[in-house]
Amino acid sequence: MWVAALLAVTLLGSAAVMLSPDRYAGKLAAAISAVPALASVYMYYVFLTQNGGAGNALLSPGEVAFGQQIPWIDLAGYQISYYVGLDGVSMPLLALTTILTTLAIVSAWTPIDERQSQFYGLMLFMETSLVGVFAALDFFLWFVFWEGVLIPMYFLIGVWGGPRRKYAAIKFFIYTNVASLIMFAGLFALVFNTDLTSLALPAMAEAFRNASGLPTIAGFSLATISFVLMFFGFAVKVPVFPLHTWLPDAHVEAPTPVSVMLAGVLLKMGTYALLRFNFTMLAETAQALAIPLAIVGVVSVIYGAMLALAQRDLKRIVAYSSISSMGYVILGLVAFTPHGMGGATFQMVAHGLISGLMFMTVGVIYNTTHTRMVGDMSGLADRMPWTVGIFVAAAFGYMGLPLMAGFAGEFLIFQGAFDAATLGSAAPVLTSAAMFGIVVVAGYLLWAMQRTLFGGFSLETDYEVGPAAFHDVAPLAVLLLLVIVLGVAPDLSYDMIQHAITPLTGGGA
Amino acid sequence: MAAFTYAPAIVLLPFVSFLVALFAGDRMPKGGALAGITATGGSLLLSIWVALTVAGGGYHNEFIYTWVAGVESVTLRFGLLLDPLSALMLLIVTLISFLVHIFSLGYMNDEGETGLPRYYAGLGLFTASMLGFVVANNLLMAFMFFELVGLCSYLLIGFWFREDGPPSAAKKAFLVTRFGDYFFLVGVVGIFATFGTGLFAPVTQNGEVVAQSFPVLAEHAVVDGETGPIAMLDTVGLGAQAWFTVLGLLVLGGVIGKSAQFPLHTWLPDAMEGPTPVSALIHAATMVAAGVYLVARMYGFYAISPTALAVIALVGGFTALFAATMGLVKQEIKQVLAYSTISQYGYMMLALGSGGYIAAVFHLTTHAVFKALLFLGAGSVIIAMHHNENMWDMGGLKDKMPVTYYTFLSGSLALAGILPFAGFWSKDEVLYEALIHGLGSEGGLATAYVLAYAMGLLAVFFTGFYTFRMVFLTFHGDARSDTARDPHGVRWNVKGPLAVLGVLAATVGFINMKPVAELTGAHIDFLHAWLAGPDEGGWPAALVTSSHHYEELLHNVAGVAAGEPLGATGTLLASAAVSLGLALAGAGAATMLYRGPDPVEHTDKLGGLKTLLMHNYYQDEYQVWLATGLTHPLARAMDKFDQGVVDGVVNGISSVSLFGGSRIRRIQSGVVNNYAALLTLGLVLLLAAFGLAGGWF
Amino acid sequence: MIPAELYLLLSAALFCIGLFGILTRRNALVFLMSVELMLNAANINFVAFSLQHGNLTGQVFALFGMALAAAEVAIGIGIILVLYRNFSDVDVTKATTMRW
Repeated sequence: MWVAALLAVTLLGSAAVMLSPDRYAGKLAAAISAVPALASVYMYYVFLTQNGGAGNALLSPGEVAFGQQIPWIDLAGYQISYYVGLDGVSMPLLALTTILTTLAIVSAWTPIDERQSQFYGLMLFMETSLVGVFAALDFFLWFVFWEGVLIPMYFLIGVWGGPRRKYAAIKFFIYTNVASLIMFAGLFALVFNTDLTSLALPAMAEAFRNASGLPTIAGFSLATISFVLMFFGFAVKVPVFPLHTWLPDAHVEAPTPVSVMLAGVLLKMGTYALLRFNFTMLAETAQALAIPLAIVGVVSVIYGAMLALAQRDLKRIVAYSSISSMGYVILGLVAFTPHGMGGATFQMVAHGLISGLMFMTVGVIYNTTHTRMVGDMSGLADRMPWTVGIFVAAAFGYMGLPLMAGFAGEFLIFQGAFDAATLGSAAPVLTSAAMFGIVVVAGYLLWAMQRTLFGGFSLETDYEVGPAAFHDVAPLAVLLLLVIVLGVAPDLSYDMIQHAITPLTGGGA
Repeated sequence: MAAFTYAPAIVLLPFVSFLVALFAGDRMPKGGALAGITATGGSLLLSIWVALTVAGGGYHNEFIYTWVAGVESVTLRFGLLLDPLSALMLLIVTLISFLVHIFSLGYMNDEGETGLPRYYAGLGLFTASMLGFVVANNLLMAFMFFELVGLCSYLLIGFWFREDGPPSAAKKAFLVTRFGDYFFLVGVVGIFATFGTGLFAPVTQNGEVVAQSFPVLAEHAVVDGETGPIAMLDTVGLGAQAWFTVLGLLVLGGVIGKSAQFPLHTWLPDAMEGPTPVSALIHAATMVAAGVYLVARMYGFYAISPTALAVIALVGGFTALFAATMGLVKQEIKQVLAYSTISQYGYMMLALGSGGYIAAVFHLTTHAVFKALLFLGAGSVIIAMHHNENMWDMGGLKDKMPVTYYTFLSGSLALAGILPFAGFWSKDEVLYEALIHGLGSEGGLATAYVLAYAMGLLAVFFTGFYTFRMVFLTFHGDARSDTARDPHGVRWNVKGPLAVLGVLAATVGFINMKPVAELTGAHIDFLHAWLAGPDEGGWPAALVTSSHHYEELLHNVAGVAAGEPLGATGTLLASAAVSLGLALAGAGAATMLYRGPDPVEHTDKLGGLKTLLMHNYYQDEYQVWLATGLTHPLARAMDKFDQGVVDGVVNGISSVSLFGGSRIRRIQSGVVNNYAALLTLGLVLLLAAFGLAGGWF
Repeated sequence: MIPAELYLLLSAALFCIGLFGILTRRNALVFLMSVELMLNAANINFVAFSLQHGNLTGQVFALFGMALAAAEVAIGIGIILVLYRNFSDVDVTKATTMRW
């Protein structure tokens, strides 16, 4: 019921905001989105205190929290139902989504000044879809939400974006949509070759994990082919090298609150789906393909970081560094160790908070300076001390400073991957190579900070540059606080994550 | 042990002062300084209490917080390890930090600086991070606070962010140490993966070991051949000792970065851009000391690897000499001190590498005192000189600021290693350890030690020279500028810390007068006794961090042996005489050259060599080139590749689609006859296809 | 009874004449007439097969076909009138505004 309520509130809220006058839309949307945010915090609290030891939603569906199943459609012999539920993986991501949406909506008050009711309505609609993606336990339902995210995102980039918004929006839409198609093909090739009667994810997991006698095509098992197709489909969303080029364009063109959602939550859809589909349902294939997948992850880490080094646009820097950070997640997932996969899941949450914070901070600076180019401005610390202070803190969080969430995620991934049995003797080498990302990330963020924040103040404007408004800085402070809290006490999330992850890994380091 | 119950407060007090200064500093008198002084003062008192408890045979190694509770996996925890080493270091850090806070009243508040809350918040966090690092009982916690120390150095070196220099220096400091920390992190992860624990010392309950430590596990693996539980060895395909050497060297990467050893020393001279009290804190007690302290903390792990020991000794010896030569020609007082810091930490590394664990800790202690003193003295001079740091603009300050002069002189004599000041005793012991182990060990280890000893010995002469060049240029002769003729006065808050440290710099060496102890037979080598722990009982049997245990390991596993060609006493005295002689020679040479009322720059006679030294052997240039000349163009090339090739393929696919569409749509000619023809053609083709497939023909 | 082949040949001939007209003529009225020829070719087939099988359904279809043809002519003539009004001509190759 709780999940249904979240979906209903955001969907109805979306409609209400669309119909409201522009003047009130922002405040109304913030108030409406505060409801699911607070509700999910309460759900989180309940989960933490009562369901902390719940297992994996796909492997032991009886243990999910806030579960609900209502039969819906009987399609060509496949039973489809409205089936939702949360486990230790989806609960933190759900809370991340609702909290980040509220903060993103508040951060939109300053920059969004036209078609406000539509903007906030679409933001809430996106929240509905995102909540659905993380909560759905039926494939059909999940896919509806999965694709449903694209629609508001397309308009949010295409209408409120920067100068090349149309290019970016179309590129984003087509790229991810084609990827969904390929994933769909891979998945259904498997569905049709097993005796499934239901499209519920737990049923799929059971059928795929125990599938035997799958046909082989050109010498490859269907499981391998489907795995690759699905990996391709989800990897676009993550994104990993070389499927990443939609991301910098989308980020640069999207308005700040949309970038926040894009980096903070949308990218996690990709890794979440990878975890749920590829690494849960086709675990054996994933382990067999661990080394090439790990190489993909490591290359993403280093490649993304190196590209970030070459950028001048602050948003582009953060966008490329997202590619780098998500590469760690891939590495952690393929390790198939509790800390590796758990760290990867934790990193999704941590990166969601930190990249959201980074984009929001860049946005606050942009609201004031109207430029994001390193080199166009310097010495901002002189004029907006608190914003810059948070920027510095966020940047260090991004660099993996201990006692901030990013470090916990990265360290756990490294720890889990370093002696991963799936990677064999390549594990220490690959892990060490990925770790080098922490040096490069420090390089470009420190460089960008030195150029923009410090030194004598200079910026060509015809107005006085001053501190940002309270409602601009407050979401930053909230996010920073969350990052620090999760860094000091990772177990607030990590404990439930581990309980959901360990059934997959079957012990180990 | 009541003291241990309150030990976490040692770390938390400065942290609270950080929060107070940050959020309420601008509403408090002195911009949050009082909070910092109170907190570090409290920490100092608690540290004294802890040290007294440890002196009474107390020992504490407990977990206090579970950071990540592993489910079917490694649990990561925070804990306190309070033993003689950490208790001593706590004393040093809290004392120096306390004095630096007081000095800052004079250096920052009285000089009318803005942003004081930020400054005192930084100092508080810096102190808290370092203290957290010192008390850490496992490698992960140590790493985390090690990184926080790096963050604080960034914030404080870049304190004057409105200028161009400090932010750049701060960036460099963080980046270069981060490069070292990369290896450290790999080492930490590797150690956890190998041993399943990062504990420095076993945790015991009622005499039973409940959590084993990694140096002990490594020792078991190497000495007793218990490699069974260590699955990592199969993964990497190395023997136990070889793999542990790799891990040790990886951790050493972090040490080389933070302790500014060659080749990652380049950040430290630039870090002089920060406020001088911060330099004192960084150099004497916190960041730079952290590296050496880490090696001492996990010495049991290094003591089983002769290769790692040889590398440490060589890096240390080379750095000692290398940095000392660069210090010869510097013109700014803080630059000379910066290079002397690098050089002195080289000595500590030399001692650690050559089996002189106690000597290294001793030098760490004395150096903390006299280097803090010298920096604070330099700060006093800089206040007087209205923030002009060039020694060639000074001169004759001796009579105008006697307190500063005499305390600075005390620190200089200690730095140069002149009897009986602190530096003499510790540096002498460092060199003595290197010498006897170089003479007594066999094979490559002996060669490495002798080479490292030779470099360290040569550096003694240079140390004496640059130290007294600095003293004479700054304080003696005639004033060479208007500000030097009429210097700005300093108040009690500057003189007080100087006086305390000045007295300590003269006397702290007495805690370990090994030559005197050897000659008279009196048991006055207190530090030896301190680090060895009580002879009997007192400590749990499992305690493996005593210097006795390290000596056994060094001797039995690494093959470090002592050779004393002139007999025990003779070798000791000969070594002391040689190093004292060289120090006096260096100091004397500087006195000869720079004594007069109007000294000239004699080092100009070095010609091209001077240029080389002034440019620091072009170390900065090649490292900057690595960053901006190599990495950045590479990144740009990759960006081109990304935009051109990777994104090009994506855009190419859409272009092909668009192009194909634009061609195919031309069959939509608008002429009905054509449509009809195509329709007919399609029908005919379809019929033909069906016919062929159905076998109609 | 006349064999069904002959009817089919007649209908095929009629259809081909209609098709030829559509492919080669440019006058819209001739077009329309050609379409009528092709439709009626189909009608002949319906009737012929109806006779062959003794089943009336085919004849019913033929009636439907005729009704359809009538309706089609009505619309067709309407289109041609509009064509003429817009292009002052009933040449189908002139009216090429519905192209790329």
